[in-house]
Amino acid sequence: MIYPWLKALHAAAALTWTGGLLAAAMAIQACAGAKVPADTADRRRALDTVRRWDRHVTSPAMLLAWVLGIAIAIQGEWFGSLWLAIKLGFVVFLSAMHGLATGTLKRLALGSLPSPSSALRHIPAATVASIAVIAVLAVVKPF
Amino acid sequence: MSTPEARAEEHRQLRWMRAVSLLEGSTLLALVLVAVPLKHLAGVPMATRIMGPIHGLAFLLYVWMLARTVCAGGWPRSEMIRLVAAAFIPFGAFINERRLARRQAVLAACD
Repeated sequence: MIYPWLKALHAAAALTWTGGLLAAAMAIQACAGAKVPADTADRRRALDTVRRWDRHVTSPAMLLAWVLGIAIAIQGEWFGSLWLAIKLGFVVFLSAMHGLATGTLKRLALGSLPSPSSALRHIPAATVASIAVIAVLAVVKPF
Repeated sequence: MSTPEARAEEHRQLRWMRAVSLLEGSTLLALVLVAVPLKHLAGVPMATRIMGPIHGLAFLLYVWMLARTVCAGGWPRSEMIRLVAAAFIPFGAFINERRLARRQAVLAACD
């Protein structure tokens, strides 16, 4: 009875988390490509808005997605399935991506990083690819 | 990081990171040294069913916080690899905690 509710809330939390992660990643990309100086008030305000959203919405959604995901796996007795083990690997990867994005946003907002590393421009693509793989694994359960 | 605001942020971040390191290390020890023997030697599979997910959550939190701390502090990549590698071995998180404490002391000395 509770299982579909857990699943629905998990999907909502995961969508909120990954949507926020994409927004943060795009904000970092915008800073990397911007021609304006790093310490302008406009840039600081924009970064503060993204960081506030992350602190109050994206990060709590991530924690909720983790907890509900584990609750679903216990309820459905999915631990031990190969598809779940692979999915968990992607969850660890997405969590690390989120950590990298929020850490970079913090440095940008504090003015200690004038321009983000070019390697971070791959975060949006890596996030979308991971979401696609996770969706296939969770819905199709191929293994 | 050079401004007082940035240093205060890094102090806060390191304090959290140390706490999460200890949490991750403690749950791994509880899993490996208590729950697994209980399952295999005493026939209590419930022990790993409880401790496994708790350690999983602690590990996710650790990875997330580590990426955040390292990126926010502009740490070298080698340091990050060392910290992640240590998370996979029992007692490694405690070594990390000491390393983070040393970094925090260095930061405090610069204030």
